[in-house]
Amino acid sequence: MKKWYALFFSCFLASYVLAQSTEVSVYVSTTQQTAVKSAKVFLNQSTVVTDATGTAVLKNIPLGNYVLTVQATGYADYEKRVQITAANKHIHVKLKPEITELKTVEISSNAQNIRKNSEARSIEVVDQRFVQQHLGGSLMQTLDRLPGISNIGIGSGQSKPLIRGLGFNRVVVVDKGIKHEGQQWGADHGLEIDQFAAGEIEVIKGPSSFLYGADAIGGAINLKPVRIAMNQGLGGSVNLIGKSNNDHYGTSINLFGSNKKWFFDSRITYQSYADYRVPTDTVYVYDFAVGLRQNRLRNTAGRETGLHFNTGYVGEHFKTSLYASNSFAKSGFFANAHGLEPRRVDQALHDRSNRDLLSPYQRVNHFKLISRTEISHPTSKTELELGFQRNFRQEFNHYVNHGYMPPVYPSNMAIPQHLEREYDKFIYSGNLRHSFMFQQHQLQVGLNADYQDNGISGWSFLIPGFKQFNTGVFMYDKYVVNHQLILHGALRYDYGHIQFERYDDWFTSERKEGNITTIERLTRAASFSRDFNSFVWSAGMNYNSGKLGFKVNIGKSFRMPIAKELAANGVNYHYFSYEKGNANLNAEVAYQADLGISYTEKKWTVSFSPFYNYFPNYIYLNPTPHHDYYYGAGNQVFEYTQSRVMRYGAELKANYQLIPSLSTEFLGEYLYSEQLSGNKKGFTLPFSPAPSALINLTWSPKISDKLHNSYLSIDYRLTAPQNNIVPPEKKTPGYQIVNVQMGTTLSLNKQVFELSVQAQNLLNAKYLNHTSFYRLIELPEASRNIILSLKMPFKIN
Amino acid sequence: MNKLKITSLAIILLLGVASGCKKDKEEVDTIYPTISIEAANAFPKQCSILKRGEKFIFRADLSDNIALGSVSVDIHHNFDQHSHSTEVLGCNMDAKKTPINPLLYIKDFPIPSGQKSYQIAQEIEVPANVDPGDYHFLIRLTDQSGWQTIKGLSIKIQ
Repeated sequence: MKKWYALFFSCFLASYVLAQSTEVSVYVSTTQQTAVKSAKVFLNQSTVVTDATGTAVLKNIPLGNYVLTVQATGYADYEKRVQITAANKHIHVKLKPEITELKTVEISSNAQNIRKNSEARSIEVVDQRFVQQHLGGSLMQTLDRLPGISNIGIGSGQSKPLIRGLGFNRVVVVDKGIKHEGQQWGADHGLEIDQFAAGEIEVIKGPSSFLYGADAIGGAINLKPVRIAMNQGLGGSVNLIGKSNNDHYGTSINLFGSNKKWFFDSRITYQSYADYRVPTDTVYVYDFAVGLRQNRLRNTAGRETGLHFNTGYVGEHFKTSLYASNSFAKSGFFANAHGLEPRRVDQALHDRSNRDLLSPYQRVNHFKLISRTEISHPTSKTELELGFQRNFRQEFNHYVNHGYMPPVYPSNMAIPQHLEREYDKFIYSGNLRHSFMFQQHQLQVGLNADYQDNGISGWSFLIPGFKQFNTGVFMYDKYVVNHQLILHGALRYDYGHIQFERYDDWFTSERKEGNITTIERLTRAASFSRDFNSFVWSAGMNYNSGKLGFKVNIGKSFRMPIAKELAANGVNYHYFSYEKGNANLNAEVAYQADLGISYTEKKWTVSFSPFYNYFPNYIYLNPTPHHDYYYGAGNQVFEYTQSRVMRYGAELKANYQLIPSLSTEFLGEYLYSEQLSGNKKGFTLPFSPAPSALINLTWSPKISDKLHNSYLSIDYRLTAPQNNIVPPEKKTPGYQIVNVQMGTTLSLNKQVFELSVQAQNLLNAKYLNHTSFYRLIELPEASRNIILSLKMPFKIN
Repeated sequence: MNKLKITSLAIILLLGVASGCKKDKEEVDTIYPTISIEAANAFPKQCSILKRGEKFIFRADLSDNIALGSVSVDIHHNFDQHSHSTEVLGCNMDAKKTPINPLLYIKDFPIPSGQKSYQIAQEIEVPANVDPGDYHFLIRLTDQSGWQTIKGLSIKIQ
C-alpha cells in the first residue's frame, strides 16, 4: 500500500510540463460603459492601475482560478472569482457607483460553479443571500434545503447537521478556519452558530478528513468569514426578523468600518421565541394523551444572543485579523416528555405564558477567539490560525430519582438540585498552512493541533470528564494539467490521545449476589487513556470540457472514537437506555468513492452525484435484548459496537430556465445504508433520511428601477416513507410540504431595503420527520410559519 | 418539452438508484414485542392496589414475532406526580408528598431463549415498612433484535 502512495505522488510531481501562463487584460468601465482610469486591479498578487482607456494588463498569470479585485475611488469595490484560461483572458469589469450597497461582495453563481468544477469532492456553496431567502430556526434548518443535507433537530431553534445521513461527530463544522467544538455527540444539543454572522458557507459532502481532520469522515461545513472590502468608511446593516409560528422576533445589527489598511466588523444578534406550534391539539406520548393549549408545545420557548467583533489589518503581503464572539442560548425542552420519558406536568403553570422558560431547559454559552494571519510571499502563502473556545452547557431539570438515586435530593450536595447535566469544555487549537506553486502544481502542506479539556457536573451521569490532544499533518496537491483537467492528491497522518477521569456515583446502589447484598457507590468510569493514529489519503480529478463537467474522487478517512463511545456508562432516561461505552473500540475507517457529472446548456443544467461508502468498523450504539439492573437501573442495555457498513446514494440537481424571468429546479436525494455484520446485520443505520425530492418554480420579474432582485419561489417537497429502520426507531410515513419564498430589494432615496417573506409548511401539513429528536414520541413537525425578514444596509459618511 | 424530458430523466435516474437497493435482501425484524395485561389473571393492572407486607404475583403476557429478549420491572414512587404512566386511563392520586422510605424495586428477569410468547409469573414482595401512596409499575420488555416496549402503570400501595 505504501508503495502505491509513493507511486501516486511521484506521478504527480514528476509529470513535468512547462507552466502555462498568460497575459490577462482587464477593462474597467462604469455601468454606462465609460472607461474608468486609475482603478487598481488585483489578480494573483499582481497589482496594475488602469490606463486612460480603462485597461490594465497583468503579465505572467498562471492559468487557474483567482479572485479579481478592482478598486477605484467613487465606486464600489468589485470582487469576483474568475477562471483564467487560454480562452478567457480578457475581462470586462463594470463598476457600480459607491452607494450604500457597498459591502456586498459579489459571489455570483458562476463563481460557485467555478469552485465546484475545480473541486473533486461534491460541494455546495451558499451565501448570506441564501440564508436570508430560506431562513430557518437555525443554520442547519436553513441548509436543509440543499440536496444531501438534513438535520437532526429538537424544537424550533436547535439542530445538528446531517450530511448524507451521517451526523454528530462525523461532520466537522469549521468556523473561520477553526473547528467548532461543542457537544457534537448529543441529539438534544444545537450548534452554537449565529447564522446571520456567516459569510459564505461551503458544504462538503463526503469524507474530508485529509483537510479538516479526523472527524470529517462524513463531511464538513465550512463557514467562511464575511469578506471585508477595504476603504469603505463606516457602514452597516440592520436585520429584523419575525416568525409567526413561535412568535419569534429578532434583530441582527452589523457595523463595520475600513480604511485602506485597517478594518473592523461587528454584529449583535438577539432572538426571542415562544413555544412553537404543531398542527395538532393532542400528542400521544406512548398512549398517554397530552393536550396542547393553542397547539403549542409546552416549554419550547427560547432566547439567543450573539456578539461578534472582528478587526484586522490588510497589507500588501500581510493580513491579520482577530475575531471574538460569544453566543448564548437558553431554550426549553417539551415539558410533557423529556426524550422518551412521559411526564405529568403542572399544565396551568406552564400554560400561563408561552414565552416563559421552566424546567426542563438548557443554557449554552460558547465563547470563541480566533486569530488568522496570512503572509504572502512572491510565489507562496503562509497562513496561521489560532483559536480558543469555551463551550459551557447546562441542562436543568427537576430532580427525578431514577433507579437507585435517593428519593429526596440530599441537602449536602455540592451540585445544585436542578442541575441535571453540565459540560464545560475548553479548546485550544492551531492550524498552520503553507501553499505554494510548483510548475502546475498548487501544493499545500499543513499542520493542525488541538487540545481540549472537558469537565462534567450535574446529578445525572453519562460520560466522564476527559482531556484530549489531536494533531495531524497533511499535504495536498492540486495539479492543473490543462484548463480542462485537474488532478488532486492528498495524504494525511493523524495522532490522537484521550485521557479519562475516574467517576464514582454520588449515591449508592444495591447489588445482590446470592443472598449477599452489597451497597456501594459504583465506579462509572475508570481513569484510562487511549492513543490512536491513522494514515489517510484522497485522490481525485476534474474534467471540464465546455458543457460537460466530470469529477471523481476516492479516499480513505478516519475518526477517533469519542468519549461517549469509549466511556459512556450511565442511564440515558431520555431513551430509557443504559448506554455502555467500549474502551477497546478501534478508530473508525471509511472508504468512499464519489462521482459527479454535470452538463450545462444555455437554458438548463443537470448534475448527478452518486457515492459509495464502506466502513469496515462503523461505531454504532447497539440496543441489545438485555436489561441491566446494577449499572443500568433496570434499563435496556445499549452497547457501543463496531460493524461493517455499506452506504450508497446520490443527489440529483436540475435547473431549467423556461423564460428569462421564470426558472424551475429539481433537487433529489437518495441514501441507502446497511450493516453487513454484527448483531444488527441487515439493518440500516439510525437517522437515515428518507428519499426526498424538491421541485421549485422561481419567478424573478424586473418590476421597476426601484425594485430589483425580486423573486417569488415555490418549493414543493416530497419525502418518501422511511420503512428502513433499526431499533429503537419507528417507521415514518412519507409527506409533502410546500414552502414559498418571496422577496425584493427596494431602493428609496439611496436607502436600500431587502425584504424577504417566507411561508414554511404553507398547507399546514401534519407530518413526522424521521431525523427529529421527538420522532420517537410521535411529535409532528412545526405548523405553518410565516417568516419576515428585512435588511437595511446603511452607510455613515 | 425539454423540461418534461429533464424531469422525467431525473425521476428515472432517481428511481433507478432507489430500485438498486431492493435486491433480495433478508427481511429484518421491525416489530416491537408486546406486553398485554388484558388477561383476567394479569396483575397488576392500571390503578391496581398492592398491600404492604404482602406478596403478589406479577403476571403479564409477553409476545414477539420472532423471539423475546428479557423483561425488567421497576417499581418506584410517584409522590411528586410527574412521571411515566403510558396508560390512557388516569387513576385517583393522593396528594403530593415527600418520600421517607419509598419502595424501590428494580429487577430484570430472563425469558427462556427462543420464545415467541411467554406468560411471566413472578412473585414480588412489598415490604411492610415502605411509604404507602402512588407508585409506578414500569415494565420494560425487549426482543432479540433489541426492540423495547415500555408499559408504565400507575398503582397504589396501601
